Amino acid sequence: MKTTIIIVAAVVVALARLALRRRRRRPRAAGSDPTERSRRALISGGVGLVAAREVRERVRTRMFRFGTLFILLVVGAAIVIPVVTRSTPSPERVGIVGRLPRGVTGAIEAAASSTSTSVTTSAVPSVALAERELTEGDVDVVVVDGVGLVIAGPTTAGSSSFLDALASELGIVRAMNRGHLSAAQIALLAHASPVPVRSLRHASGASHTVNPEALIGDILIFTMLSQYNTWTLIGVMEEKSSRVIEVLLSAVRPLQLLGGKVLGIATVALAQAALVLGFALAVAYAVGSNVLHGTTWVQLLMTLLWLVVGYAFYSWVYAAAGSMAERQDQVQSLALPLSLPMLFGYITALIASSSGSPSLLLEILAYLPPTAPFAMPVLMGMHGASWWQVLLSIAISLALTVVVARFAAGIYRRAILRTGRRVTWREVFARG
Amino acid sequence: MSAVLELRGLTRRFGSLTALDDLSFNVSAGEVVGFLGPNGAGKTTSMRAVLGLTDLDAGEVRWAGRRVDHTSRRRFGYMPEERGLYPGMKVGEQLEYLGRLHGLTPRDARAAVVDWLERLGVAERVDDKVEALSHGNQQRVQLAAALVHGPEVLMLDEPLAGLDPTGIDDIGAILVQEAREGRCVLFSSHQLDQVEDLCESVVIIDHGRLVASGRVDDLATSGPRRLVVRIEGDLDGAWARRLSGVQVSETRRGEVRLILDQGTDSDLVLDAARRVGHLSEFRFARRRMSEVFREALS
Repeated sequence: MKTTIIIVAAVVVALARLALRRRRRRPRAAGSDPTERSRRALISGGVGLVAAREVRERVRTRMFRFGTLFILLVVGAAIVIPVVTRSTPSPERVGIVGRLPRGVTGAIEAAASSTSTSVTTSAVPSVALAERELTEGDVDVVVVDGVGLVIAGPTTAGSSSFLDALASELGIVRAMNRGHLSAAQIALLAHASPVPVRSLRHASGASHTVNPEALIGDILIFTMLSQYNTWTLIGVMEEKSSRVIEVLLSAVRPLQLLGGKVLGIATVALAQAALVLGFALAVAYAVGSNVLHGTTWVQLLMTLLWLVVGYAFYSWVYAAAGSMAERQDQVQSLALPLSLPMLFGYITALIASSSGSPSLLLEILAYLPPTAPFAMPVLMGMHGASWWQVLLSIAISLALTVVVARFAAGIYRRAILRTGRRVTWREVFARG
Repeated sequence: MSAVLELRGLTRRFGSLTALDDLSFNVSAGEVVGFLGPNGAGKTTSMRAVLGLTDLDAGEVRWAGRRVDHTSRRRFGYMPEERGLYPGMKVGEQLEYLGRLHGLTPRDARAAVVDWLERLGVAERVDDKVEALSHGNQQRVQLAAALVHGPEVLMLDEPLAGLDPTGIDDIGAILVQEAREGRCVLFSSHQLDQVEDLCESVVIIDHGRLVASGRVDDLATSGPRRLVVRIEGDLDGAWARRLSGVQVSETRRGEVRLILDQGTDSDLVLDAARRVGHLSEFRFARRRMSEVFREALS
């Protein structure tokens, strides 16, 4: 935690210094030029208006509302149903006949504790009476003179973890008593704790079991990226096919329109993801579920962050593809190849998480922008990446996103006004 | 002096096809200019070039003496030939959004939407989705989208297509009124009678080149003399085809329109017509816009 705070503080200071230096270098006249100011306001205003329309229109659709409701219901059910149907072990009723040698009471408690079972004990005057109570179901097990156990049913291995533990504990107590150990010695042995284990490997590499939060986060990121990238693609295609694009581009620049659309859909995606995660946490907390037990705000924010990073990268590509299509069937043929790297990263991450071992492939994919949103969270969940590695992966993704955005904007500008048929790759790379 | 929209030497090629071929003409503020030409002549490409919706291989567009850029284009209004609206968005919200994209404040945009929907007779459809409107009403909303931000220049691609006579009259009246208020209005149409009624000037292009332009009155009265002759029982004007120095321009429901060569005596034509039958009409006439159009293209 300390390291994280130091890294974040260092990044903030570095960014602040960079911003100050750039401000000092910038000619004063440009910053105070009213034309320049109005131009900037015009650009940001256009993006904001486009983004606001996207948010309004997307959230308003029945599909979005019912879809969100459906997701919340599924998530809620996934958390609540296991809690409701969870079998709570009934307390073991132990009848005690005869004398109790030293340590027997402790043995009963130890067996109950090791199997997370609650126990009630009752004294029974005789074995015959105890057997009757066993037959009638008034007790579950009878301890006879602290050295024998009687149960009603057949004795099969593993039939009851409490019974096995109790038999084992009583056996130890009997052995200790036969060894004529003092009460203090018996107590000492009863409370023996395991010796510490020293590992030659670093703690972070010791366990590769992926935590369920990372896996759930990965599934959420994949589902949402698939959904929202398709929105972007279809949204651009619809603007082109309805010819509203001509009216829009007579008022705003292509990059403003594209940026506004990407920003608007990203806002909806982030809000929906935050709602789903927040709802899941709230429901889990309310019903006492351990599904998301131990999920921290950092893990939650990391899921949202990778969702944003992934969307930022893919949205431009999908938008450029959408500008080349004019019909729904063209959209599908364009979307398929774009979804392959996403699918590859997702499946690799799932395989790695089920195997419990971060493969070299996963470690490489964690630094490639198309696959990092899926691979890096799982790698983090396996404790296979440090903070600086996560930051490096995010930095690589963002840097490449800028390059991809510029490239996609060029394709969008060339393709969006070409109507009548699907635009070919040759045409978008040709002049004009 | 009123502002002028200048198209100077516009050239645009799509592969081997030359859509605009050194096209130049002016449109003055305060007048309605009809933009004519056969299908594929380059009208839509010209309008798109003015609005920056297509790149140019050569040429420039100027407005009020300055080269048109993105900022000045925000004061232009555009109505594309095909419907250019979000089908699933409400009429009022859509127009307000477009107004704001052109720089209006939210309050001004709302006021302009109310005003234009009222003027175009679709105020009661403000909360309806565009896709729920009839073709005519969608056309009115599309025009409102071009007008909502109070543009200085209006570029309208086939604004009258598919409208009923009432719709044509309503939209035509608005275009004329906008021009009277100092806007620069250029609209393309294949309905030449309406163009003749609405426009002060026309520009005719073919194969991306300018073939004729000028004031409607000048074009109608220029060129050779024209006669309109109607003889009872004569439908095809076959008698006139035998006269030298006379061409039959048009025959329609018994009305024969003739073009006389420079030296042709109209009295000789009158005598010939009398010999065919009872003469019910014989007069000199202006060139119709359809004749101007056909002759320019020939």
